[in-house]
Amino acid sequence: AGQLQSCKDENFLHTPSLMCRLNAIAKKYGLENVPQDVGSLVSHATQELLRTFVEKLSVIAEHRLEIYKN
Amino acid sequence: SSAPQPVSVLDRRRIEELVKEVDSLEQMDDDVEDMLMQIADDFIDNVVSAACQLAKHRKSNTVEVKDVQMHLERCWNMWIPGFGSEELKP
Repeated sequence: AGQLQSCKDENFLHTPSLMCRLNAIAKKYGLENVPQDVGSLVSHATQELLRTFVEKLSVIAEHRLEIYKN
Repeated sequence: SSAPQPVSVLDRRRIEELVKEVDSLEQMDDDVEDMLMQIADDFIDNVVSAACQLAKHRKSNTVEVKDVQMHLERCWNMWIPGFGSEELKP
């Protein structure tokens, strides 16, 4: 049988500053403080966005080197 | 009243870790890291502002996970698993 293991979900972004910033934006719209899980989701989404960028940049940089080689 | 001091939400070290995860031999210029940090900043503002507008639209006074999810899916074509259990996505 498979074994389930869990590890602590550490946020990619600095949580206190992120929550501070999210609360400031929410306040601008007249909304209450933002729940922690929203902060966590925003953090994961930002990580995902940057990962996609870095992956593309890595391919592009390699391609540029190929041109130099020829 | 004094304006709140802007604090960085993203550490340069985190970006370096991400780059190493993608390709352990990859080297990235400081300029590129700065650009990525700027992109992250703009992304956060965009996503959270849109989520707040969605929360207001459904006449709620709190922004919820589903507001963020809807914007991420519709505008960024992004689905982050593990948040909210109301419906399961493939």
